[in-house]
Amino acid sequence: MNLTNEKKNEFCVLNIEGRIDTTNFSQFENEINTLLSAGEKNFVFDCSGLNYISSSGLRVFLIAQKKTLSLNGKLHLCNLQPSIKEIFDISGFSSIFKIFDNQEKAIQ
Amino acid sequence: MEINKEALFVIENRVEELAVLFENIEQTAEIWELPVPLMMNINLVLEEAVSNVIFYAFEDELKHEIKISISLKDNLLTIEITDDGKPFDPTSLKQPDISLDAEDRPIGGLGIFLISKIMNEVHYTRKNENNILTLYKTIQYEPDK
Repeated sequence: MNLTNEKKNEFCVLNIEGRIDTTNFSQFENEINTLLSAGEKNFVFDCSGLNYISSSGLRVFLIAQKKTLSLNGKLHLCNLQPSIKEIFDISGFSSIFKIFDNQEKAIQ
Repeated sequence: MEINKEALFVIENRVEELAVLFENIEQTAEIWELPVPLMMNINLVLEEAVSNVIFYAFEDELKHEIKISISLKDNLLTIEITDDGKPFDPTSLKQPDISLDAEDRPIGGLGIFLISKIMNEVHYTRKNENNILTLYKTIQYEPDK
């Protein structure tokens, strides 16, 4: 997994590449916690490079959503690959996240 | 044409072994000419089932073997996971309520649910001190060659 972040408008855009699974989800969780500690509360997770997610990864997405909501922040997702969108649909996650077609819309 | 393929993998009860398992699955899927989305789904159900075994099945600190067999007979894909851990029936778990808001959704409990949604059938049996979880899925199988 490769994670990079950049600031766009009031959003911290986190670009996620590769897989999030049982072996590496804590790296993803630590990155989010670091950004939250630095005062970020509005996020866009750009998932264009995310090609695999298991329940360990979904768990971190849910934790991030709970934390940003508790801070009155925002968490937007964009560019989900079809196979990832399918997992979000199956698990009911598509209805608990704001999902955008592209990053331009997600940072508005 | 009659299709009859089978592969068997044995891993230890360590989370690092998942990466080895995934490599083996990817190679097998390539040889069997399975489509990539199906290979990813096989990867996913195995990760969910096997990580549960690794994390929760064993109360000692000893090495244990986890056996994974994958077979394809005509259009029926069968995945069987066998471990000698304590008795545990994943099919007995309560299904998560996926209609809840983010605030009310409990953390976790999705692994077995994903398996049951991706596969057509999930069966559990306890036999000879082993847990045997068998997963079935009917697939469209049309290799190019």
